[in-house]
Amino acid sequence: MQLDFSILIKYLPDFGAALMVTLEVTVCSLLLGLLFSIPLSLFKISSIKPLEWFASFYTSIFRGVPLMVQVFMMYFGVPLVLPVKFTAFTAGVLVFSMNSAAYISESMRGGIKAIDKGQYEAAMALGVRYGAMMKDIILPQAIKSVMPSLVNEFISLLKNTTLIASIGLVDILRVGQLIQSRTYRAFEPFFAIAVFYYILVMALSFLGKLLERWVNKSDRR
Amino acid sequence: MIDVKKLHKSFGSLKVLQGIDLHVNKGDVVSIIGPSGSGKSTLLRSINLLETATAGEIWVDGKLITQPDMRLHPGENAQVIIKAHYQDPYSLRRRVGMVFQHFNLFPHKTVLENMIYAPMTVKKESREVAVERAKELLESVGMLDKIDVYPATLSGGQKQRVAIARALAMEPDVMLFDEPTSALDPEMVKEVLDVIKKLANSGMTMLLVTHEMGFAREVSDRICFLDEGVLIEDAPPEIFFSTPKSDRAKAFLEKVL
Repeated sequence: MQLDFSILIKYLPDFGAALMVTLEVTVCSLLLGLLFSIPLSLFKISSIKPLEWFASFYTSIFRGVPLMVQVFMMYFGVPLVLPVKFTAFTAGVLVFSMNSAAYISESMRGGIKAIDKGQYEAAMALGVRYGAMMKDIILPQAIKSVMPSLVNEFISLLKNTTLIASIGLVDILRVGQLIQSRTYRAFEPFFAIAVFYYILVMALSFLGKLLERWVNKSDRR
Repeated sequence: MIDVKKLHKSFGSLKVLQGIDLHVNKGDVVSIIGPSGSGKSTLLRSINLLETATAGEIWVDGKLITQPDMRLHPGENAQVIIKAHYQDPYSLRRRVGMVFQHFNLFPHKTVLENMIYAPMTVKKESREVAVERAKELLESVGMLDKIDVYPATLSGGQKQRVAIARALAMEPDVMLFDEPTSALDPEMVKEVLDVIKKLANSGMTMLLVTHEMGFAREVSDRICFLDEGVLIEDAPPEIFFSTPKSDRAKAFLEKVL
């Protein structure tokens, strides 16, 4: 069989649009996930037992149920029992961000636990209240140790978003499937997609490295 | 200024403080000395509410800062005492500065940011006012040239001088020092002691837990000797160091002098 990558050329605009969808879902999910993970990680270190239970139960659900099942549940299942209606985009972002929150909060908890108790005492001795202490003193330091796993989470999130093709959102993978069904060629479109993702992930890793260096600027002597 | 009454503190079954009575007048410099594990740090930390006393009371500037201990007020009503005197931990800590053995500077903030964070966050000072005072204080501890660096670049002695200035930035009425030179390399001890001495001479009320006997003798108005959670001696330094009354203080001094 002759390979012919030129068949992809006329689909380039579709790829472009799909790339935007992939990136939008990924970035929205990461930011929301990061936001959700903050209260969740604070619950996990909380001395209030029910909050702690809730947080570990939440995490266990998202760890224990396959992501695809979560996506189907949110998109097809939930609207049947609750008076809500999701677009594929919303359902996808919701699931992915709730999922990321579970994972990020887990590493965030580790990051917070690793902070020297002298930092809490210094803040308390200066009369700083709990909320401000967490926001300004503890979390910024915890983020530093969480940074590498945050980059990992970003990367696996990016790759996992291919699942939204299964609920009809036109992401990069979906464009590949469309090309396949129109041209009866599979190698070229999927190879192109593989390259797409590979380049994206490499770019993200590089950005992640820069970000890590930036958050660690205070450690340099 | 500070009144500690029958203070007890236990960690589980371990009795760390066993009925401490201590009175500190305004402007007094009181050094707390004693063997390790005698409860010195716990006493100091109780005054800043970093530890919660098990029994007894602590009064700072006429305000009760611990829960009222009814055994000390037979016939009185706890609610009345709380209403009249109780002060919440946050407002107390604003007026009591604390310096730690391990400095505890915020590593992700520059020296200046360390200095102005609490005044701006807790006392709601404007940035200009906070920066102005930060500069004066850094000048007085000889750290003004390091104002924009991160703590990781400083030596131990420099970190501790910044930590002292940071505590002073809240304009406290009392300063507590918890073994401020114990984590320092020997050649850095003096620069920190000099700063503390300057502060003592300025009339600041200070409580100092230290192993530097010579320094305690030089700057203190009183020496408190603590052993096994009991305050055994409370005397002016010249008396304590020359004629200690108790055998335990004698034994301790023989080891450290």
